[in-house]
Amino acid sequence: MGQKYGALIPTGRLLDGRPRTILFDAAKCIGCRQCVQACKDWNDHPRTTLYELSSTNWITMEPPVLEGLSPIWARNSCMHCEFPMCAAVCPVEAITKYEEGPVVINQDTCIGCEYCIYACPWGVIAKNDITHKASKCTMCSDRVSENKSPFCVQACPVQALDFGFQDEISAKAKQRAEETGGYVYGEKEAGGSQLLYVLKEKEESYGVPAVGPQKYPRHRIPLVLMLKDLFTLRCGLAGKARALYLALIHPKRLIYRYWPWRKEG
Amino acid sequence: MANSADIFPRERKTRLPGGYMGRILRVDLTTGSMRDENLPEEPLLRKFIGGQALASYILLRELPLDAKPYGRENKVVMMTGPITGTGFTPGGTKVTAVYLSPLTNHTLGRGAASGFWAVTLKAAGYDGVIIEGAASNPTYLFINEGKPELRDAGRVWGKGALETEDLLRAEVGLKDARVMCIGPAGENLVHAAMLCNDYNHNAAHSGGAVFGSKKLKAIVVHGTARPSLHDRERLIEAGLRWRNTLVVRHEAEKRTAGHAVDLGGAPNFNFRSTVIEESHIEGFDKNRVTLRPCFQCQRLCPWDVELKAGKHSGTLGHFNAGSEWLDTFYNLGVRGNDALYLAQRINDLGIECSHFSCGVGVAFEAWEKGLLNAEKTGGLKFEWGNVEVIDRLLDMAARREGYWGNLFAEGPVEVAEAIGGDAPKWIVHTKKGTPALHDWRPHFGQMIREIVASGGMKPQGGGSVNPPPDLKYREKWGPLDRDNPAGWPWSNALSEQYRQFCGLIGGCWFAQMHMKPDGIKSIVDSFNATTGWNFDIDQALEAGHRSAMLQSIFGTQRGWIAEHDWKEVGPRFLEPLPDGKHKGFTIAKWLPDMVYEYHRLMGRHEKTGRPFMDTLKKLGLEEFEEWAQLD
Ligand code: SF4
Ligand code: SF4
Ligand code: SF4
Ligand code: SF4
Repeated sequence: MGQKYGALIPTGRLLDGRPRTILFDAAKCIGCRQCVQACKDWNDHPRTTLYELSSTNWITMEPPVLEGLSPIWARNSCMHCEFPMCAAVCPVEAITKYEEGPVVINQDTCIGCEYCIYACPWGVIAKNDITHKASKCTMCSDRVSENKSPFCVQACPVQALDFGFQDEISAKAKQRAEETGGYVYGEKEAGGSQLLYVLKEKEESYGVPAVGPQKYPRHRIPLVLMLKDLFTLRCGLAGKARALYLALIHPKRLIYRYWPWRKEG
Repeated sequence: MANSADIFPRERKTRLPGGYMGRILRVDLTTGSMRDENLPEEPLLRKFIGGQALASYILLRELPLDAKPYGRENKVVMMTGPITGTGFTPGGTKVTAVYLSPLTNHTLGRGAASGFWAVTLKAAGYDGVIIEGAASNPTYLFINEGKPELRDAGRVWGKGALETEDLLRAEVGLKDARVMCIGPAGENLVHAAMLCNDYNHNAAHSGGAVFGSKKLKAIVVHGTARPSLHDRERLIEAGLRWRNTLVVRHEAEKRTAGHAVDLGGAPNFNFRSTVIEESHIEGFDKNRVTLRPCFQCQRLCPWDVELKAGKHSGTLGHFNAGSEWLDTFYNLGVRGNDALYLAQRINDLGIECSHFSCGVGVAFEAWEKGLLNAEKTGGLKFEWGNVEVIDRLLDMAARREGYWGNLFAEGPVEVAEAIGGDAPKWIVHTKKGTPALHDWRPHFGQMIREIVASGGMKPQGGGSVNPPPDLKYREKWGPLDRDNPAGWPWSNALSEQYRQFCGLIGGCWFAQMHMKPDGIKSIVDSFNATTGWNFDIDQALEAGHRSAMLQSIFGTQRGWIAEHDWKEVGPRFLEPLPDGKHKGFTIAKWLPDMVYEYHRLMGRHEKTGRPFMDTLKKLGLEEFEEWAQLD
């Protein structure tokens, strides 16, 4: 594990260290949004606001129209990147990549600097208006650590979502792609993710962004934001101290944060 | 009457059980005043739970005996139940509306809707709504995050249900607001007008007409709240068990003739043939079909269709469980995709499909038999399968336009009387309401259910050959013989009780009907885990029984007697089956005995339908002793 990710991001283990993956099969999805509501139910998030990702709505089904009104649907949520740029840019190491797959933001550590929000190639992190912390899908790390599948997966009434060990899901995805005349999305994107899609049409028809194969892809954190954080106490004194301390002991991560286009090594 | 202060405490002194939001909104449309009522104290709440029972108890307590269905004094009481909207069970989607029925003028009217509206009503902070009085101008009620507001509905008055839904969602500016509304049929007091919500999850049986009489076009709800849960972990476990008892519906089924296939026959040409032919499903194989389940329910009843063949190719249709709307047009000789096209139209106009079909069916038969001609129909050809004419008649009925539009809006009995001759013999109806449109005639269990229902409502019950596995500890009977009436009245009485219970707690009986082991236990466990109560199955059945009793007491107070059940039935509904596997079968030769037996078993007098004192005592309904059968 350490080998794979380098010292760039915090890593951890929840259960047995075997990587897992969520599969989303667009050919089966009926756009019912039961996964969206299930996520809310499991995480005790408020009802409604189903159409936009937010700190209390961690998945959307695109397009944002009433269920039943579109012929195709795609899931939009954290991809649980193998090389998560969100974690690489976080100045306080609030984001952990777990060996089993989940990329999780620690709410106690987050200082709300928003770097991850801009760094994520899929734009799936949102800031909570009240706590001012970053928030997103956790791949139900609490359930995964008990060897249960994510709640959205078990909720899907037509088995358009699946969950299992990475190698098995990857094989399933390929097989489904073959059966449906589609292709697998997520295997190469950003160096690979632990949410795979089987899509039939082009990505754009699903509103899914095209993301290159580069690991820790280049981020788009606005310079102003970084300067602001450098010179102001926007994220609090303790947060700033933590960020500075971490920058000192992990200088390599600073490179990723500020010059992400530089090649590793 | 009207004094119900003891039902709704000013301040609750007892625990609010899990699953409830704690308040009911009372709206007086005449004055525009609105107020929150606290839910009853725990003992009363435990007795009536929610749904039909709590709603009809409130109505019984508040509705004057001389109220008229379209009078200001009629009320609509709408109640969800504790499992509505928890998200952890299938079928937790229901709201039930009750009122004095304009179809019968003297029995309880009841409509229940699934979909998303009920869940969102709770998210908006309310367990139910009581609607009183009447507005002077078209109005809609908007409840957002616990704040109710009456708004002008002038802009959507006259519009179909789907457009109204879209327009009101846009008007309140909230994409995930949910809308329950009426179509033109409700506005024009078509007696069987429906409440329409969430793209055709309709609550049929006249609620729409009562809304219309109050100039209430819609209730728009939005909110983020969720009920507290007594034991979330146990609920998740029970909900999963419940889910495992479902028989899940499939896309392939939506390309068949629907429930008619299960029943062994479709109604054709006003119930004169039951044969299902290839033409019935013409074009279905080409359509794009998408399942569109209700809130967090895995049974997958509702579906959407895009017609890809036929004259109306391109039409989008939205349908719910049951497929009555399909048999509705089969009954008028329409076939294939044309039937789906018309089904979409009737839903949008907001007319209960069977009421229309049973009326138009009589008129078409009269045309066929020469009792009507173009002179009498204003030039319209009342021919079987004439899609253009039926399309036109739909609009006329929904707007009470012209002689025929007005008659079809009144109902099949009025249509037949106006035609005269033998026409009254061709009607299908029960106490002037119409059965959910399928051909139930070959089945004892379903027929007894249809006949004893209050007429202005969807019947509950419907016997089964064996008791559900979960009731085997107390029910030692079956298998019943499909050709012998013995046992069927009790089978129906029993299923009425457990289906009522499922509704009271806010559940959908389609998610309950599968007769699998754990099929009732998992529901009772879900209910207990949600509320913190500890019902056993017997108590659950008793709650259902109590609800059925309130329903009949409501009728008793207004002149219903049990004899009406078998005397006020359209003759065609009791005719021997014309053809098919069960040719010659009729329940008629077992009447009135089956009806008598059913009422006796429910604890009522067989002829008057009044509850015995013992029954009232057993159910804790002594306060209604005035309406009991005393000898
Ligand atoms: S999708 Fe975005 S938020 Fe999720 S792991 Fe990848 S970079 Fe992080
Ligand atoms: S907002 Fe900042 S501190 Fe919080 S997780 Fe994102 S990058 Fe880390
Ligand atoms: S994996 Fe868990 S947290 Fe993520 S979307 Fe699914 S239910 Fe929500
Ligand atoms: S629950 Fe399944 S079918 Fe429904 S929207 Fe989610 S992935 Fe699609």
